[in-house]
Amino acid sequence: MVDLFAQTILNATYAASYMALVAVGLVLIFGVMGVINFAHGELYMLGAYAVVAVYGDWNMPFLVAVAAGLVFVGLVGILMEWALFRPLRDNPLGGLVASIGFLLVLQASAALIFGVRMENIPPSTQEIIQFSDRVSLPLQRLYVIVATIGLLFALWLFLKKTRFGWALRASAQDPEAAALQGISINQTARIAMFIGAALAGVAGALTAPLVRTYPYMGHSVIVTAFIIIIVGGVGSLEGAVVAAVVYAFVHTFVTTFVDGVMADIVGLTLMLLVLIVKPTGLFGTRERA
Amino acid sequence: MLANMFKNGLTRRRVLRGAAALAGTAAATSLVPRAARAADKTVKIGFLAPLTGEVAAWGKPGLDGCLIWAEWVNAAGGVNIAGEAHMVEFRSPMTTNTMRARRAGATKLIKEDGVKMIMMLGGDPWPGVQQLAEREGMLCTTLLPSDLSPETATLLAPCEVHPIYNVTGIQWLAENKPELKTAVMCAQEDALGLPSVATYLAAFEAAGIEMLDDTLFFDPATTDFAPIVTRLMSSNPQIICLDTCYSDYVHPICEQLFQQGYKGQIISCTADFYDQIVAKTSKEFMEGFLFQFPDFDDPGLNADFINFQKPNEFYAEYSKRHPNQWGAVSWEYASVMDLWKAAAEKAGSVEPGDVLAAMKEGGKGLHAFGEADWWGKELFGIDNALVGNWPVVVIEDGKAVIKDFKSIPEWYDKHGDLLIKHMDALGPMYYQRA
Repeated sequence: MVDLFAQTILNATYAASYMALVAVGLVLIFGVMGVINFAHGELYMLGAYAVVAVYGDWNMPFLVAVAAGLVFVGLVGILMEWALFRPLRDNPLGGLVASIGFLLVLQASAALIFGVRMENIPPSTQEIIQFSDRVSLPLQRLYVIVATIGLLFALWLFLKKTRFGWALRASAQDPEAAALQGISINQTARIAMFIGAALAGVAGALTAPLVRTYPYMGHSVIVTAFIIIIVGGVGSLEGAVVAAVVYAFVHTFVTTFVDGVMADIVGLTLMLLVLIVKPTGLFGTRERA
Repeated sequence: MLANMFKNGLTRRRVLRGAAALAGTAAATSLVPRAARAADKTVKIGFLAPLTGEVAAWGKPGLDGCLIWAEWVNAAGGVNIAGEAHMVEFRSPMTTNTMRARRAGATKLIKEDGVKMIMMLGGDPWPGVQQLAEREGMLCTTLLPSDLSPETATLLAPCEVHPIYNVTGIQWLAENKPELKTAVMCAQEDALGLPSVATYLAAFEAAGIEMLDDTLFFDPATTDFAPIVTRLMSSNPQIICLDTCYSDYVHPICEQLFQQGYKGQIISCTADFYDQIVAKTSKEFMEGFLFQFPDFDDPGLNADFINFQKPNEFYAEYSKRHPNQWGAVSWEYASVMDLWKAAAEKAGSVEPGDVLAAMKEGGKGLHAFGEADWWGKELFGIDNALVGNWPVVVIEDGKAVIKDFKSIPEWYDKHGDLLIKHMDALGPMYYQRA
């Protein structure tokens, strides 16, 4: 039983890692730009396909493919900001609708280019860290955990210690006041979109050899990410990280000890409970009228 | 556009010249096919299995196989209907795998294309087509006999008796590895997974293999199978059964079993693209993996009782055209066409009712894996499944090998009550459907 618990904790830690990357990116975009980016799951998918192309097809090193995924998806984010969200900035629902349209474009493009079948991505390593006979952690999964910790720490440093980070936080708190202080709203939106998209992209790239990589893989990811940001508090980066950990542990433990279908029900129930008890989420704050 | 044409000097003479050319071309093109059609009539067959999306692996390879079949049959003179050659043409509307989309696709095939038979994968989308098929008397086929019911006499399961043939794998295992006595199973919770769970439970019970845990159901949206595999392995089973899962699930589950150090027997209904699993795990890990779908280059398919035409050549041609795409269904729809061709030639007609009557005449038919019976009254309420032998396939040294052909009716005669008991418990019996 101890082994089962230990293995489940390792499984949950991995799940929390990539979920946190995706959710933090989604929260960052919403916080700075006020846009609910429904295409965020497809940015995750693009990151995975970057690995398919760079690592799987062109045989370049896995880490190069992950870096390519990060940069490529970040640039797609900048494109989205410029072409979709900036022209619709004054329309509260415009960005949301545009992102739904864009997700369909991305799905169809991936299906056209790569086909609809699951991609066969060889593992970057078959090394497994064996803690005991029944407790193990594949190195590939450890990569995801370590990269998540590193990236989230780097993001924290960026937001707290750099002028760009201060500008992002100022724009998130009060865009008009930030603009009056000389902060370029376009510039901060561009940076937020790059970072948010890149986080989804790197999550997709890191997990590509571990998950089912196919054009519609973003769907389940975005549903999970929405549950996480609602539980954590919409707009709260810390909330997204904590909620990712809570959700991943609850979901993984219920899957292991009950079953996967029940785990989905419990996950949604968790979200409903938070909405009833604390509608702003665990770390969310009520907006002043 | 029109204004530009006139601006560029469109004169009455040029219009007349163009019209004459157009009329000439039209006359020529209509004559040529008419002349061809006089010798070669065409019969259209509808292919309404998934070509895109998650289930495409059980549709698209089937259409690819059918196109090879049609090419070979047409090149050999087509289907001989009362002395007249009929060329076969497939129509495959691109629809999603939903009830509504399938209904729209079937309507187009019947009303616009005039097809004489519709081949489907079946499962959840079948009810969308059911009423239309009943009303029009359209001959339809499914790979999932769990779609069969007494209401639709024109629906047949002439090739794959999923999931009943899964009993043959367990029977073979019990005979050849009697030391394996405990098992666990995971499954996707849908019209595909549930009847298969019932079948495996019956087969395990018949073989005296104990289930150590309840079946672990997972959501089809699952992306990370580590927790499921952790749970499966937690009771130290000798056998882990993956039920009937889409290949998108079989692959990651196997990878997880490998990564979490599982060393026992694995059973699955399918193992499409198993070479990729071998590459991601190891030959040693996959050694002995048991499933139900052979590669058609297997020498075992050259036996006299096999009714599939030139299986080894078919596999070679398929692999040449679609490298590394061979899957469970690559041959199945083509084998349905073999049955249809024989029945149409026997009936001297391509009309659905005539072909159906000829197909079921005498209660026996030539299934790809040998002579078989039209069967299924107890399970499906109608004898519309063609059931006989089914192969048991094991991976040896990284390659699928047919180990034996086992009789499904023989198993059913001995253990049919167990199958009905488990089907009743899980709810996929025909009289339990909504």
